[in-house]
Amino acid sequence: MNRTEFMTELAALLQDIPVEERREAMQYYNDYFDDAGPENEQQVIDELESPKKVAANIKADMKENAKERGEFTENGYSDPQFEQKEMPAGQYEYQSNMEPPRTNNALKIVLIIAIIVVGAPIVFPIAIAAAATVFALLAAAFGVFLALVGVAISLVIVGVILVVTGITLLIPHLAVGLGLLGTGLILTVIGVIGTVAAVKLCVVVFPGMCRGIVWLCRRPFERKAVG
Amino acid sequence: MVFNTGAALLDAIVLAVVSREREGTYGYKITQDVRKAIEVSESTLYPVLRRLQKDECLEVYDQQFDGRNRRYYKVTEKGMAQLNLYRVEWKNYSKKINEMFEGGVTI
Repeated sequence: MNRTEFMTELAALLQDIPVEERREAMQYYNDYFDDAGPENEQQVIDELESPKKVAANIKADMKENAKERGEFTENGYSDPQFEQKEMPAGQYEYQSNMEPPRTNNALKIVLIIAIIVVGAPIVFPIAIAAAATVFALLAAAFGVFLALVGVAISLVIVGVILVVTGITLLIPHLAVGLGLLGTGLILTVIGVIGTVAAVKLCVVVFPGMCRGIVWLCRRPFERKAVG
Repeated sequence: MVFNTGAALLDAIVLAVVSREREGTYGYKITQDVRKAIEVSESTLYPVLRRLQKDECLEVYDQQFDGRNRRYYKVTEKGMAQLNLYRVEWKNYSKKINEMFEGGVTI
């Protein structure tokens, strides 16, 4: 592992801490590598052990509770009375700083669960109905465009049939035959133009619709990823 | 080392190391200096510095060095007060332990 790989992995592991904390930590270790110099790069990486350990240390300290702080493990400092009387002021600020977020978090989780439990019977059917409506509308739109193509193609077919019928009728009934032939030709031409136009319309509209659907489906996930 | 270093002692050592430089000092040097006295993994010092900074015992500033910004740490007044407190604590504590070890205390 080299410095770049180390820093990249560290940044990835620190994704779940506040931006400010991540920036500070990244700057510190960047400086650290710079100050150690390229010749000591491998040594620094060896002594830092792994990005995982560095990240764990940073996170552990952010979560650290006041109890763990300020104890001299090898002596009487862990005596609570003594700690209360003589530990420097800074330790207490920690205690008061650390407690409220924890209860807030617990409260938040409880609230979220409550919302899910209470809201599920209402939210799920509505969500399903909304999804079904969207799906139906899309299917209908697809259908309309496909129908346009169908109409144009059937015009061509009718036109061709009329032309054939007209030709067969030319001998016995010249006027009727000519009339049918003319109508058939006109219908065929309209049908061919219509088919081409409808197919082109579909080519333009369908990919757009598909993209729209994909975008709609992706949106909730993208939002989550950003948040 | 046989004896492990608690968080308070580590805070005290870091404050002492940083306070030796009037103009402040930087992360890599602090680590090297601390490691002269105690065995501590390189990754444990950043959280300590960050915490002391949040506690307003240390202040930071960036200064150009070698064509880049380097972050310097400096002990604040509050940090000095804290360090003095630690010094007194340590003196009392180590004195008692010394007396205990050298048989000066009758139990």
